[in-house]
Amino acid sequence: MKLLIEPSNKQELNIDSIDGLIIALEDYAIQSPVYYSLEEIKELRNANPNIELFISINKNLLNKDIEPLTKILIELDKLNINGIFFYDLALLKLKKELNLKTDLIWSQTHMVNNYKTCNYYHTKGVKYALLGKEITLEEIIEILNNTTITPMVEVLGLPSVAFSKRKLISNYYKDLNKSSKNSLEVLEKVTDTTYLLTEDQNGTSFFMKDIVNGTSIIKDLFANGLQYIIMRGYGLEAELFKEIIVDTKTYLQTNCTDQKYIEKYQKLGTNTNFFFKKTIYQVKKNG
Amino acid sequence: MDRVELLSPAGDLERLKVTLLYGADAVYIGGQKYSLRANATNFSIEEIKEGCDFAHKLNKKVYLTLNIVFHNEDMDGVEEYIKDVVEAGIDAFIVSDPFIISHIKTNYPNVEVHLSTQNSTSNYSAVEYFKEEGINRVVLARELSKEEIKEIIDKTKVDIEVFIHGAMCTCFSGRCALSNYVTNRDANRGGCSQVCRFAFETSEEKKFTMATKDLNMATFIKDLIEIGVKSLKVEGRMRSLYYLATVIGTYRELIDSIYNNDLTEEKLKLLEYRLSRVANREVSTHYFMKEADETDQYYTGRQEISNQDYLGQVISYDKNQKLVKIFERNYFELGDTLELFTPSGEVITFELEKLFDEELNEIDVARHPDNIYYLYLDTEIEIPEYSMIRLIKKRAE
Repeated sequence: MKLLIEPSNKQELNIDSIDGLIIALEDYAIQSPVYYSLEEIKELRNANPNIELFISINKNLLNKDIEPLTKILIELDKLNINGIFFYDLALLKLKKELNLKTDLIWSQTHMVNNYKTCNYYHTKGVKYALLGKEITLEEIIEILNNTTITPMVEVLGLPSVAFSKRKLISNYYKDLNKSSKNSLEVLEKVTDTTYLLTEDQNGTSFFMKDIVNGTSIIKDLFANGLQYIIMRGYGLEAELFKEIIVDTKTYLQTNCTDQKYIEKYQKLGTNTNFFFKKTIYQVKKNG
Repeated sequence: MDRVELLSPAGDLERLKVTLLYGADAVYIGGQKYSLRANATNFSIEEIKEGCDFAHKLNKKVYLTLNIVFHNEDMDGVEEYIKDVVEAGIDAFIVSDPFIISHIKTNYPNVEVHLSTQNSTSNYSAVEYFKEEGINRVVLARELSKEEIKEIIDKTKVDIEVFIHGAMCTCFSGRCALSNYVTNRDANRGGCSQVCRFAFETSEEKKFTMATKDLNMATFIKDLIEIGVKSLKVEGRMRSLYYLATVIGTYRELIDSIYNNDLTEEKLKLLEYRLSRVANREVSTHYFMKEADETDQYYTGRQEISNQDYLGQVISYDKNQKLVKIFERNYFELGDTLELFTPSGEVITFELEKLFDEELNEIDVARHPDNIYYLYLDTEIEIPEYSMIRLIKKRAE
């Protein structure tokens, strides 16, 4: 099992302990704490030829994005990139049109929830799928046991909850007649849950403020043949994140047998998101 | 030249019939499984068949939403369900999952598949991907401008459907799990609890809200027709009969006037006024002419308003006695100015001179909702079932 990380800033890449990086492409990715230009990605690849390098292009693309993105994809294809995380189906069309050799990761945030659709994408030439964060561990394992695609599971990080094209923080501060900020914490009182909103030129992202701690399920994922786990640094202290990366890599190298790892990282909290909690959707029976 | 389609929501069989009679060219409905309105009444297979039969006799169409984001367990039985719905006579499925699209196109090539707005398709390249997958129509993301929609139509030649009226999501459709996280109700499987209409605490003195105003594109219907949009969609499968009759009837009149070249500024204002009387929120055109901004949302906790314009639904008209039998919904009295409107677009404005209760006793006031009343009205115009009565002006005191 390999560990991919998304760094929270450009200074903290702990290359030695990881198998791969997920890097958000400037102007074409959202919901990342740090974005890289094409030139920076080239430098990163040249400096680290032996790690797996994945690029995130996960915004809802507009017509005006297609031409410039086409040029970037051609350049990325020369860099021996291991894969592109995509949300917009334009990426599938462009891969075919441009005959790109770079693999794709189906990464439609809240939609990657069943093995039949994973298998559909596999038949379309998509190699990987980043599974949704709103499904249970049981559902994940069912996907692992039935899909032909290579799944990935995010086990640590602030979960992205929603994305709006609207500038909701700016609007809020305009109404308050105050200078706007790039981020805002909002509290939902009934559930006593805080959400972190961030805003940039693409719109407003919503994150849960509590770190999701899936360190305790890594062994189950390993046992069921998962090949990639993902950890995101956003929301974690840099030193702590480095420590987690090193420990996790060791844990994986010992086939997830070290119970002390799980005990140690109980300190990250008890938020296991939807791994053990099923969502409901029908609150009354049809007549 | 094909005329643009007016597409109405229908939450049940009665709404299906009413909206088609009021001028919708097609309706979209939800079945009892796999639709994004899991808590609407929704249609059984038998009702889908009855709805399709009713629509087809009028040379109109019925589309079924099958647009949840599927989990493993949801896939159990979906292929059998699709088969049953096809046999019931459905004209198209509205789908977001590409595996389901592929399944329908492979097994039922004569049945149309429309890509749901749940995919938030927002560029020509993505539309072209789905065109190659055999999709017949794409319902675009609601975040697009007029120029962006036009460019997609010009470049892809795919049939494009856009929303023209109703409630808006704050976030991209399909890209919002606020409901999952805040209330544990799965937004992408029909359980959306509309968390975007909640108010949140912050460290500032005022709560954070993000609820959007409703969409109303009446002013730009002509533009949408001119750029080549094929279908104009109204939101609201859970809306009332009166709301749907008014909105669909009004847009029918507006679209017909555009094609007949007789849409005056005065008529447009009248039609917009009718729409405003059934609206319970302020309206906006959101992204069509500009980026959505601070004017397109609310900053207070309460957004809904209501009025009592809807007075009742017509049950029958006795031409000999000149009495309209109605099922009352809101208080009215002698001297009020009323408007009776029919599914075929007739509008009769009159001052109420005589009023009777169910036993035909003459009375002054109809004060009890859900009761039967008779109104005196002398007219030669046909007043069919599903005609409705609204208040225009209260009597002078």
